[in-house]
Amino acid sequence: MDFAFTEEQQFFKKIITDTVDRMVVPKAREIDEKDEFPWELWKDFTKLGYLGLRYPEEIGGMNADPVTAMIFYEQIARGSVGFAQSVIMNILMGTYFVYRFGSQAIRERCLFPAMKGEKVATMCFTEDQSGSDLSATRTTAVKEGSEWVINGTKMWITNGPVADFATVLATTDLSLGAKGLNFFLVEKGTPGFSPGQVLDKLGCRGTVTGELVFDNVRIPEENLLGAELNKGIEYLGEILDEVRVMTGAMAMGIAQAAYDEGLEYARKRIAFGKPIGNYQLIRAKFADMATEMEASRLLIYSAAWKMKEKLPSRIEAAMAKMFATETCCKVVDEVTRIWGANAFANEYNPQRHFRDARFLLYGGGTHEILKDFMGRLLIGK
Amino acid sequence: MNMLVLVKQVPDPEALVEIASSGKDLNIEPKFAVNLFDEFALEEAIRIRERHGGKVKAISLGGPKAIEALRTAIAMGADEAMLIEDEAFAASDGYNVALALSKAIEKETFDIVLAGRQAIDADRGEVPQMVAQFLGLPHVGVVVKLDISDGKAVAESSLEGAKEVVEVALPAVFTAQKGLNEPRVPLITGVMKAMKVQIPKVAVEDLGLTRDMAAPENSKTKTVGYLPPKKRPAVQLIPGEAREAAAEAVRILVDVERVI
Repeated sequence: MDFAFTEEQQFFKKIITDTVDRMVVPKAREIDEKDEFPWELWKDFTKLGYLGLRYPEEIGGMNADPVTAMIFYEQIARGSVGFAQSVIMNILMGTYFVYRFGSQAIRERCLFPAMKGEKVATMCFTEDQSGSDLSATRTTAVKEGSEWVINGTKMWITNGPVADFATVLATTDLSLGAKGLNFFLVEKGTPGFSPGQVLDKLGCRGTVTGELVFDNVRIPEENLLGAELNKGIEYLGEILDEVRVMTGAMAMGIAQAAYDEGLEYARKRIAFGKPIGNYQLIRAKFADMATEMEASRLLIYSAAWKMKEKLPSRIEAAMAKMFATETCCKVVDEVTRIWGANAFANEYNPQRHFRDARFLLYGGGTHEILKDFMGRLLIGK
Repeated sequence: MNMLVLVKQVPDPEALVEIASSGKDLNIEPKFAVNLFDEFALEEAIRIRERHGGKVKAISLGGPKAIEALRTAIAMGADEAMLIEDEAFAASDGYNVALALSKAIEKETFDIVLAGRQAIDADRGEVPQMVAQFLGLPHVGVVVKLDISDGKAVAESSLEGAKEVVEVALPAVFTAQKGLNEPRVPLITGVMKAMKVQIPKVAVEDLGLTRDMAAPENSKTKTVGYLPPKKRPAVQLIPGEAREAAAEAVRILVDVERVI
């Protein structure tokens, strides 16, 4: 078995690590404090070209394999998960269905500018009464002549308040549950499409998250993003594993940022005449954190490798997301204990990591849902 | 205008460094980076090419891992790179390193050789000057501004409390100081090129050198041992009113510590 990154992947990791250290890390605190979309950093960072990470070179992308993509997701989240969420939305969920099913005109209007950071993308799943349970989606799409008419309200939409276009999950028939779901493209400026309430969040601040309202929004037929009607759930399956493993990779980014803070503190902080890292109980924390982070990465990168090799990865992706995120929550907690009361002060970073980690418990599927899903696959219906 | 940039892969500034129990070696955590001052040199070479045309070629002497530093050079915008692959030579003294580099440079067509003012690992700051000596070329060090025109360069060097302006005919060797520029963050197009590029490797034998030249007994200088830095004494708090305390602080700095 070969667990090593290729020479190219090692180099990519080095470059993206340095880039994040130079551009994102110094801004992380300000992004969290302001809780506004960081337009200046967005402009500077996106012109480097990373938003085309997963798309073919012929259309200006990098064609990165899933393993390389996970390296990117982990590092950008290490810098600032608030910023990372906005970036990854443009790279993956917010553009995938436009790339996969969009006409050339749609690609030119939405995808290509989004790959350059000139347009902000989003994807809308969640509603006030449905999140992980997509079959409960209430937003409707009704065909009228050559148009679709969308009605509904979406909640918890990453980039929602600033998005230039949205991939919207809506049902063509409420009685069909998950089998009536489809994706539709709605662009900013379309009458009836407007941002609603912006959420004030505990963590992942800087990603502007909020409500999107669709009030008799009329879109042309070609804005149905799918080859066949009512196959939305099937199409979602094409990126579901990547979204889950990506969430795990982001969790490892946060965990690493917190761990590094803990390490520095344990080496410097003196108690009873010696650095606290010399005490066994503190050392044990690092042994546990490092072990579980290593285990998380093995799950993440082996799931990504399976995706790269086109091997089945659904259960492995769920395992990686769940284990890495739970590990992240443990690590950020332990680091606040290592920092003692200083972790409670807003002027230091551990409290930010502690807050940020919480969101990943729900994003990409709650662990309660994932466990049920995995249990079903393992035991059978 | 063809530029050669000498690039060294050094331990990452955050890598842990410990003196081995023998006292004769260092145990360095295997985390690496491009020498910071070489990044200034690379950036300047790329900017000169952007203004005057030509090519930028990065050259490194080191083990197989040094390829990563050269990939970084390509990602930033260097056109070509070459590795002189020899760990023994790379670990040898500045004289041998400069000799190997100058033998490689002799085979190239160039107008400018740029390098960092020093490598941040050994901090000796000696190789580019010796390269200039081996090649019989002028050298301008610690450059913070470099203008090229009509086959000559006007370089500004930073001195203690002043700047020196030097005019020199090309070809010449320059060493880059902090302040010369702000190295660019690589674009993904550069990163992709760097990930795919095949970087040619040459052996010291290809340069007319022999491996035994790098043996410790044949080096011009020998590292006898490493000593840990003196432990920093505890912080000294000076009591009293601000004015008197400041006067006492100055007295300690001048008379006791003799640092000012």
